[in-house]
Amino acid sequence: MNKRTASLTLRRAIPCFVAFAAYVIVLVVSLRLLAHGVEGRAAELAVSLSPVIPVIALCFCIVRLIRGMDEMHRAIQLEALSMSVAATALATFSYGFLENVGFPKVSLFVVLPLMCGFWAAGTVLAQWRYR
Amino acid sequence: MKNCIQELRAARKWSQADLAEQLDVSRQTVNALERGRYDPSLPLAFRIARLFGVAIEDVFQP
Repeated sequence: MNKRTASLTLRRAIPCFVAFAAYVIVLVVSLRLLAHGVEGRAAELAVSLSPVIPVIALCFCIVRLIRGMDEMHRAIQLEALSMSVAATALATFSYGFLENVGFPKVSLFVVLPLMCGFWAAGTVLAQWRYR
Repeated sequence: MKNCIQELRAARKWSQADLAEQLDVSRQTVNALERGRYDPSLPLAFRIARLFGVAIEDVFQP
């Protein structure tokens, strides 16, 4: 990557890190508030769902980051995301069947980190194809 | 698809980074193009041909 595109990509990536940091902060605050107890069902729901707001911002930042990439890197990300969706679907579907035969129930919170992990692995694999 | 981007670039004594900057793509993309690992879109193929001042069919061969 040349200096100009590298610095542009880095500049576009900064909002993603900021949004992720905001997510962690809001999540910690939300969990602490819920642990201390929030009065009223509506307030409880609002506090519980508050970490979703920085996640929405993160989604927009990721879209902006991908739109700023050149065509080959967009193709790499498309392949990586396709692999990630397929791998996550296979993993969650298979584990769902295993839960029927006594495997412990797993929270839905596992799905996103799993998908992100497959996305990262997919990016490495897809980039390797174009080297 | 075969191409002669590397030869055209070398004739002008440009580095991959120089070419990448002029095409507004990453250096990895230029490398993948030269090695024939990535086939460019039609708009990028035209930009490459225009930059070198040659016809598109003189750069890319099926």
